[in-house]
Amino acid sequence: MTMTTEPRTAPVVRLDGREKVTGVGRYAADMTLTGLLHGRFRFADIGHARIKRIDTTRAKALPGVVAVITEADVPDVQYGLFIKDRRLFAKGVVRWEGEVVAAVAALTPEIAKRAVELIEIDYEPLPVITDIEAALAPGAPLIHENWESYWQDEKLVRSGNEASRSTIVKGDTAAALASADLVVKGRYVAAGSQAAPIEPRAILAEWRSDRVQIWSSTQVPFAARSLVSETLGLPENKIRVTVPHLGGGFGAKCEGHFEPQVAALARAARRPVKVVFSRRDEFLAPDHRREGMIVEVESGVMRDGTIVARRAQVLTENGAYSADEPLITILAAIFSTGPYNVPNVDITGRCAYTNTQPSGSVRAPGAPQAAWALEQHMDEIAKALDMDPVDLRRKNLLRNGDLSPTSQVMSEIRAVETLDKAAELIGWGQPLPDDEGIGIACAWWPSFPMATSAFVKINVDGSPTIITGAQECGTGAVMTLPILAGEILGIDPSEFSLVYQDTESGPWDGGAGGSQTLFNNGRAVADAAMDVRRQLLKLAADELEAAEDDIELADGRARVKGSPDRFVTIAALADKTQGTQLLVGKGSGEVPPTPASDTSACTGRLGAESFAAPTFGTHAVRVKVDRDTGVVRVLKVVAAHDSGYIVNKVGAAGQVTGGVVMGLGQALTEGTQISGEGRVRNAHLLDYKLQTMADVPDISVWFTDTAVSDAGPKGSKGVGEPPCIPTPGAVANAIAAATGARVRELPATPGRIWSALREGQA
Amino acid sequence: MKYSATLRVNGFSYPVTIEPQRTLLSVLRDDLELTGSKEGCDDSECGACMVLLDGEPVNSCSYLALQTLGREITTVEGLSTNGDLSPLQKAFLEAGGVQCGFCTPGMLISATALLARNPRPDDEEIKASLSGNLCRCTGYTPILAAVRSAVEMTAG
Ligand code: FES
Ligand code: FES
Repeated sequence: MTMTTEPRTAPVVRLDGREKVTGVGRYAADMTLTGLLHGRFRFADIGHARIKRIDTTRAKALPGVVAVITEADVPDVQYGLFIKDRRLFAKGVVRWEGEVVAAVAALTPEIAKRAVELIEIDYEPLPVITDIEAALAPGAPLIHENWESYWQDEKLVRSGNEASRSTIVKGDTAAALASADLVVKGRYVAAGSQAAPIEPRAILAEWRSDRVQIWSSTQVPFAARSLVSETLGLPENKIRVTVPHLGGGFGAKCEGHFEPQVAALARAARRPVKVVFSRRDEFLAPDHRREGMIVEVESGVMRDGTIVARRAQVLTENGAYSADEPLITILAAIFSTGPYNVPNVDITGRCAYTNTQPSGSVRAPGAPQAAWALEQHMDEIAKALDMDPVDLRRKNLLRNGDLSPTSQVMSEIRAVETLDKAAELIGWGQPLPDDEGIGIACAWWPSFPMATSAFVKINVDGSPTIITGAQECGTGAVMTLPILAGEILGIDPSEFSLVYQDTESGPWDGGAGGSQTLFNNGRAVADAAMDVRRQLLKLAADELEAAEDDIELADGRARVKGSPDRFVTIAALADKTQGTQLLVGKGSGEVPPTPASDTSACTGRLGAESFAAPTFGTHAVRVKVDRDTGVVRVLKVVAAHDSGYIVNKVGAAGQVTGGVVMGLGQALTEGTQISGEGRVRNAHLLDYKLQTMADVPDISVWFTDTAVSDAGPKGSKGVGEPPCIPTPGAVANAIAAATGARVRELPATPGRIWSALREGQA
Repeated sequence: MKYSATLRVNGFSYPVTIEPQRTLLSVLRDDLELTGSKEGCDDSECGACMVLLDGEPVNSCSYLALQTLGREITTVEGLSTNGDLSPLQKAFLEAGGVQCGFCTPGMLISATALLARNPRPDDEEIKASLSGNLCRCTGYTPILAAVRSAVEMTAG
């Protein structure tokens, strides 16, 4: 990696780092408890069927089996974010192969496995639909026969297999298309893909009288608690969800996930239970995979490259049940126009039930595929106009004062800078060998303001502690939160201790998703640190006989500005507070405002009306393609991002390189393959190929690193999700540049590239 | 049928009584409760379970525990001495080579074996040696930087 700007502060070592490199850090699967039983789920193992009979007699009779439960053993509650269309255990019908039908608790994992196999289920097969367009076709068999009876969000528009339908309308697209010099059309089809954290999930539950303690590998302990509360009918304060170290999530561990089933199993067994997913389970069962998507887009352009109108239809794959996909479809619809100034926009987003794993947020949900489609379309426009792709983008990129598709006025954005920097660093326009090409792609992504809180306390000896409900999933909250508090209190970040990822210790937080921890919880921690700072300054002013304004906090001391010898240590001040008022600060901070927008002509909106503190980025990718085999070698990636002020350079750069490599995998080697019967064909890492270190090229990371207003702490914006968005589009454009052949399917496998070359299409 | 045997792990001898089909990973994690080695796939695909066997890196999920008799096993727990981190462990922390940390034990084991074999590997050698260890967080770039910097620390 080339860091083109130097870190401004000394790099901060992760507070959890030492545990992680020495192997003593505990992840959920590493935990054990007295009396622990081993749980296992029985999955449907069929794409779509009516359940005629479930018989658990033989499983229950197996020695060592302590409990077997099905839907009959839990409250009959339907849940779901926008549509309450599912239950903890299948009832009557199974709609995808990974649906949980029953659960077993036994003395050993081996006995649990055998017991699961002894559960007898008789199915009457029902028609399986795995194709998005087939699901939406008139007369298609219904995946949820009783769809009309389900509770739904009142703003949601849906019908039958169409789980949501929404539009974004601005201006008069039909007229603008009619008067454009040229109309360019394209259709792009992206396969679904997987978050694939290296840690398969694990959950433990232990009842203590009428309270349950759950340890879960979740990104969102508070949402997990809410789901247990909703489905098992317990008040939230009787449920404690604690996350040991979390081995990555990337969205797949967002929302509640299996915590209620494990809690119900432990209650039935009257003993603690642990369920650990196999890699195969991790591929099949979580209701959060990245959705498959079909984007059809047409743009009206003028000879000089001005885009005057864009019409698009975005079809997304909801899967068998509805998680947050209806909202993701709305995001994907916005991204199908890209970060460009398009005055007339008419986009429809439709989300289709299929008999496949439910889709849901995976790192920048909805964005990479939509951007992959649109950025290829941009290059196809450039080609039709005989215009340089960078020039076309520069002409149309959003600038301050421009309007977004929902008529949000852009301010303090630096999209064009990221484009120019990426073009410069990749050497855009340089002569290349015949088999090489450079592709470029732009993207944007919102930050997500939300409420949260934190405490900061100074212990008797002056040592500082942050108490927060925030969650770390590898992304670096353990670094940014102490950096922010440390600056305010004049204490080295490494001296902080952190109480986090536990619903009973810290206030509510949205969790490790939406790139929101620094953005929101950072604000709360800084606010709490300011509270303590005020207390310290007051004490120090008394002690040093100076005005509060004249005192600064640095190096663990309060000292009089300009007279460093007049100081008192924070430890001494903390000691003084014993017996009076302790040094405890609390904070929330003011949630940044959401910009105004105009969605009066739009329908079916569930949110994302405008983008608070939007981030922008451009990736440029250089590839080499073997024309005989279709094999792509990525030689170089430049990732230029406008993420506002960068609080932790090493951490932020690591988010970018991680996002880029995830994007390379999505572009080239990943992609879930599903048979017509709804069975995943590549539910293991040999066939679902993640990028390895040997695949990875040199990656240059560049940030605008400029503070913006109405954003996160110090003018920062979200960092974690955006870096995976532009990569697949830039790779696709690079392949087309190298070969003249365009692959309109994702991933661009060697077979697809080879076929595109044979067809000579471009 | 269970067998009694003695495993040598991180310089200690551990008596175990195990069935012959037990993997080294499951005995390390469940019997010895050395949970530093992780299970990411159980199928020799991810490298999270990697340990050293007489200095050679192996995926312990695909190795029978009884095959290791008389051989010296090193897990991630054995990489630091008297609480001092190895140069690789330090370099991983400083270069941002650890995010979620789930791949870290296997990565460190892999890199330790590489540096023992070749104290001055070039980038291509590092990449090839660590390509059996999947990481979903870092994009590998900071891990490569970490190994480079450990080489500088140790090879002088
Ligand atoms: S757990 Fe052994 S290689 Fe994945
Ligand atoms: S640090 Fe998370 S998998 Fe490598």
